Amino acid sequence: MQKSVVILAAVSIAGAALAEGALTLPEEGSISRADGQAAFERIYEVVIHPRCANCHVGEDNIPMWSGPSYGEARPHGMHINAGESRIGAEFLPCQTCHVTSDDFDTAPHAAPRFGIAWQLAPVEFEWFGKSRAEICAQLKDPERNGGRDWRELVEHLEHDASLNGPVAWGWSPGGDREPAPRTLEEHVEDMALWGAAGQPCPAE
Amino acid sequence: MKLTVNGTEHEVDVEPEMPLLWVLRDELDIKGPKYGCGIAQCGACTVHVDGMAVRSCQLPVGDLEGEVTTIEGLGTPESLHAVQAAWVAHQVAQCGYCQSGQIMQAAALLDLNPAPSDEEIDAVMSGNLCRCGTYPRIRAAIHDAAQKLSEA
Amino acid sequence: MSRVGKIARRTFLIGSAAIAGGVAFGVYMAKKPIPNPLLDDLKDGEAAITPFVKIDANGITLITPRADKGQGAYSIQAYLIAEELDIDPATATITPGMPGQAYYNATVLGEGVPIPAYKEGFVADTLRDFMSVPAKLLSIQMTGGSSTVPDGFDRMRLAGATARETLKEAAARRVGVARGDLRTENGAVILPDGTSIAYTDLAAEAAEIDPVTDVTLRPASAWRYLGKPDLPRLDMLRKCTGTEVYGIDMEFQDMLHATVRANPAVGTAGARVDASAAEGMRGVEKILPVSNGVGVIANNTWRAFQAAEALEIAWSAPDYPGTSDGIFAALEQALGDPDSYDHRQRDEGDVDAALEAGEVIDARYRIPYLAHAPMEPMNAVVRVLDGQVEIWTGTQIPLFIRDRAATIAGVDPEAVKVYVLPMGGSFGHRLEMTHVEQAVELALTVPGRHLKLTWSREEDMSHDYPRPASVAAGRGQVADGKVVAFDLSVSQSAMAPEWFGRLSGMSLPGPDATITTGSWDQPFAIPDYRVTGYRAPSMVPVSSWRSVGASGNGFYHDCFLDELIHAAGADPLAERIRLCLHEPARKVLEAVGEMSGWDGPSIGEGRGRGVGFCMSFGVPCAQVIEVTQTEAGIRIDQVYVAVDVGEVLDPTNLEAQVFGGVIFGLGHAMNCALTYEDHAPLETNCHAYEGMRLYQAPQIEVRALSNGSRIRGVGEPAVPPAAPALANAIFAATGQRIRELPLNKHIDFV
Repeated sequence: MQKSVVILAAVSIAGAALAEGALTLPEEGSISRADGQAAFERIYEVVIHPRCANCHVGEDNIPMWSGPSYGEARPHGMHINAGESRIGAEFLPCQTCHVTSDDFDTAPHAAPRFGIAWQLAPVEFEWFGKSRAEICAQLKDPERNGGRDWRELVEHLEHDASLNGPVAWGWSPGGDREPAPRTLEEHVEDMALWGAAGQPCPAE
Repeated sequence: MKLTVNGTEHEVDVEPEMPLLWVLRDELDIKGPKYGCGIAQCGACTVHVDGMAVRSCQLPVGDLEGEVTTIEGLGTPESLHAVQAAWVAHQVAQCGYCQSGQIMQAAALLDLNPAPSDEEIDAVMSGNLCRCGTYPRIRAAIHDAAQKLSEA
Repeated sequence: MSRVGKIARRTFLIGSAAIAGGVAFGVYMAKKPIPNPLLDDLKDGEAAITPFVKIDANGITLITPRADKGQGAYSIQAYLIAEELDIDPATATITPGMPGQAYYNATVLGEGVPIPAYKEGFVADTLRDFMSVPAKLLSIQMTGGSSTVPDGFDRMRLAGATARETLKEAAARRVGVARGDLRTENGAVILPDGTSIAYTDLAAEAAEIDPVTDVTLRPASAWRYLGKPDLPRLDMLRKCTGTEVYGIDMEFQDMLHATVRANPAVGTAGARVDASAAEGMRGVEKILPVSNGVGVIANNTWRAFQAAEALEIAWSAPDYPGTSDGIFAALEQALGDPDSYDHRQRDEGDVDAALEAGEVIDARYRIPYLAHAPMEPMNAVVRVLDGQVEIWTGTQIPLFIRDRAATIAGVDPEAVKVYVLPMGGSFGHRLEMTHVEQAVELALTVPGRHLKLTWSREEDMSHDYPRPASVAAGRGQVADGKVVAFDLSVSQSAMAPEWFGRLSGMSLPGPDATITTGSWDQPFAIPDYRVTGYRAPSMVPVSSWRSVGASGNGFYHDCFLDELIHAAGADPLAERIRLCLHEPARKVLEAVGEMSGWDGPSIGEGRGRGVGFCMSFGVPCAQVIEVTQTEAGIRIDQVYVAVDVGEVLDPTNLEAQVFGGVIFGLGHAMNCALTYEDHAPLETNCHAYEGMRLYQAPQIEVRALSNGSRIRGVGEPAVPPAAPALANAIFAATGQRIRELPLNKHIDFV
C-alpha cells in the first residue's frame, strides 16, 4: 500500500509517465538519413551527458563524478570500484549508498537513487570519453548493445523508464543535479527516428 | 508502518520518506547508528539490511525491505562479534563516533570476503570516514577478525 | 560568577605573552585553597576526599575533568588517580563531574609565555608555572593545548595518594593501629593480620577526618598501570558496541528536537526570512528567531532539518571581504606592513645586514582556512525549569558555557549545571559555544521541556570557526654549504584575542603569539635568525585547530628551512641536526634517520623522501615521509615518526595519537580548504572536505623517546611536521616545490 503511493509520487516528480509501447514506431525507411543523423546527434548529447556517461565506463569499473561541485569529471570519490560484477559485489556494493527507491528526490551531493538496483552499465556499453563514431557503432552493434535491434532499443528505453530505472532518472536526477538534455520522450523518439533511418553513423 | 530491528518488530507512525537513520534514532531510541553527514559521504550511519551494509541516512523507511541489524544487534559488551573483539584488541577507537559504522561495514565485508587483502580493505572501507585517523588499526583489526573467523 | 572571579577579571589581564598588574594580590588569592566542589552535593555516607575522588558505600567515583574528545583523556586521568589510589579503574565510575574552579588548567596558558619550550631553567620554568595563577583565578577549566597529561600528572596522582592515605587513616583509627602499618590493594586497606576493609566501607569515617596531605608519590618503577604496554582504554568497549552515549545521543521523555540556520557570515546579524513553506510541515512546533539566525523546534531531528531547509533566507553581509581571493589579498597586504606589525619574538644576529650583503633566497607561502569538522555535529540538550538551567553537551570549555548560559537566561552561574558528555571528535571545534547559546535561547521558549539542538553537517561546516588562513614570506641565505640567515614573516588575523573575546567578553591585550607559534620557537641556531608576526584584520571568525599556530607555522618554517638547505647543497637531515641546539630535538631527528635508513632524499627513480620537523607544545617531533610518483599521482608509501614527550604514560594510546596526528596533518595538507564565496564556505559537507580516507593512509612507524625534562601531551605535536615532510618529499621525488596548501591544487595524489 505504502509502496504504490511512493511510486505515484515519484512518477509525477519524474514526469516519466511513459507507458511501454506508448510510442507508435515509424516505418523502417520512412525517415531520411539526414533526419536520422540529426536524431543521432541528439542521442549523442544525451549519452555523453554526465547523468548517463558517468556510469557507462570502461573496464577499470570506476564510475565518474562530475558537475558544478566537482570541476572536471574525476573518478568517483571514496576509492570506489564496482568490480567486474559492475554492482560492487567484489568490494563495496553500489547499493550500500545508492539505495533502491522510486523517490529520486535526494539532498544535494547525496547518493542518487532510482527504482532498480544501482549498477554500472555492462562494460561493452562504454560511453565515457568515447567519440561519436565509437558510441554510434556500439549502439547499433547487437554484440555490444545487449542483442537489440533498433525497435528493441526503443523498447529497452521504455521498459527501463517504466521501472523508474536510470533512463527515467536521467531527466529528473534530484539533488540539484543537471538533468540530461531535453526530455525522456524526445530521447525515445530520437532513438526511433535514428533506427527507422537505418541507424546512420557519423564518419569520425 | 512496521519494521524489524535487531529481531524486534516495531510499529512507527512516520512519513515514508523519513530516512531509516532518523526512525532508528529519534523514533525507536536506537542510537548506535550515528548522524555524520546525511548524504552517504561518511558511513557513520551504516546498518545491515538482511546482512548487507546500507547507509541508513539514505534509505527512505518506506523503501525498507528486509530486517535491520544495527551495531546493538551485531554483538553486545558481554558477547562481542569477532569484528568488535578485534576492534577492542587493537584499541582502534579514538573518539569512536564513526566506529559503529566502521564495524558494521567491516562485518559486511568479511561476510562477502572472508580473507580480504589490504587493497580490498582499502576499496571497501574508504566510504567510511574517520576524522581521528584510526585507519592503520582498522586495517590491522580487519585482518585479525578475518583470521579469527576462519578459525571458528 | 564568584566574587573572586569578578575581582580577578578586573585585576588580571592575561595576554598570550605577558601578565600585567595585580601580582601580589593574585598570588595571595591564588594561594588560598579552592573549595572542593564535590562537598556541596554529598549525600549521607559519601566522602569526597579530594575534588577528584568520591567514595560511598556503593562504589568509587573518579572525577576526570578534562574533556575526552577522542584523545583518551578520560582513561589517562583515571589511571593517574588509580595508580596511587590502588584500585582497578575499570571497577570505578568515571565522570567529568560538574565544572568547577578546582579543575582549572594550570598548564594550557604556560605555553603562551615568550620563552621557547626548549629553554629550561629557573626563569623559564617560574614564568610557565606562574601562568597557573591567572588560570586558577580565571577558572579556566579548559581542555586543549595537549595539556591534560602535563597538567594532571602530579595533581591527579596526588589526589589518588591523598585519598588512599586518608582511607588508611580512617582504618587505622577504627582498628587502633598506626597508619604506617597498613597497606592498600585493589580498593581495600589491608590490616597487618591480612584482613581487608573495602574503601567503600571506610567512606563514612574518612569523611569525618581531615585529608592526609603529606603524601609521597610513587616512583615510576613501582607503577602498575602507567607506562605499561597494552593499557586498555576504559571507553573502548562502549565505543565498539555502540553503547557510548555522546551528546547527540541524549534522550529524555518528551524531548523536543531543534535545529537552526544562522548567518554563514558568523556573527553578522540581520536577515530576511520567509518561513511560509516551513510552517505547517509535519512535526514542526515553532519557527522563531535566534541570535543571527532562525531556529526550528520540531518533534524529530529530521523534521526539524527539513523545515529549516525550507526556510527562504536572505542574509546580511559583513564588511570584510567575502571571497577567498579578497581575504588572501588582505593577508598579503598586512604582510611586512609596519602598521600591521604584531610581534617579533626571535631576532638573533643582524638579519637586515646579512641579507643586504649577499644573495637572497626568497619564497612565499600560503595556507587556507580549515574546518575542524569532527564526526559528531555540534549539539546540546538544554532544559530551563524554575530558574535552573541544565545543559548536556560535549565541550572543552564548560565554565565559559556556564557563565554565558547564565547571562542569556538571566540567572546566577550557580543556577546552571553543565553535564559534559563524551565527544565525537573536536580538533578545537568545541572551544566554541555558539550552538549552546542557540540551544539556551530556544529552550527558554519551552520552559520545562528538554530541547535538543542539533546542527546539520552543512550548518556545522558553515559555522566552524576555522583554522586561520595565513600567508608567509621567507628570505634567507646560505654560505659554505650551510644555512646562515633565516628571516620569516607571517600574516594572519589575530586568532587568540578573537576567540578569548568571544568567550569571555574581555579583551586580550598584547601580541597574538599564535601568528608565529611553531616558527619563532624552533630549537635551531642560525647566525642571523628572525621571525616576525603581522596582524591582518579580523575577517572570517577563526579559532584553534588541532596544533593551533603550529599547524601553519610548522609548514612555513620547515619548508623554508628545507629550501635553504637545498640551496646550500647540504643533506636535509644532517643540516637540521647540525643546526639543532636542543638535545631531545636532535635525538628525534637522529631517530627518524635511523628508522628510515636515511642516506639522502633520493630513493630511486620517481621516488623521494622528505624530512619534517616541528617542536610544538614542548614536544619535538620529526617525520620522514617516502613518496612515489605514479601514473595516478603521488602515493605516500611510508611515514617514520619520532617524538619525545618526556615520559610515556600510555604507549598504546601514544601510538594512536601519533597515527591520528600524522593522518590529520597529511589529509588536510593534501586535500582540504575552506573556500569562501559570498562570505560562506563552498565546502559544506564531506564530499568536498574529506581529510583523508583509508585508501590514502600510509604505513606509519612510531618511536617515542624520553629525553625531555618535562612530561608533555601528544594529542597535537604529530600534526605540524606532517605537511612539510610531505611537501619536502614531493620536491625530492619530482623537483616541484609546492608552497601553497592544499597540495592537490598543484599535484595529483593517488
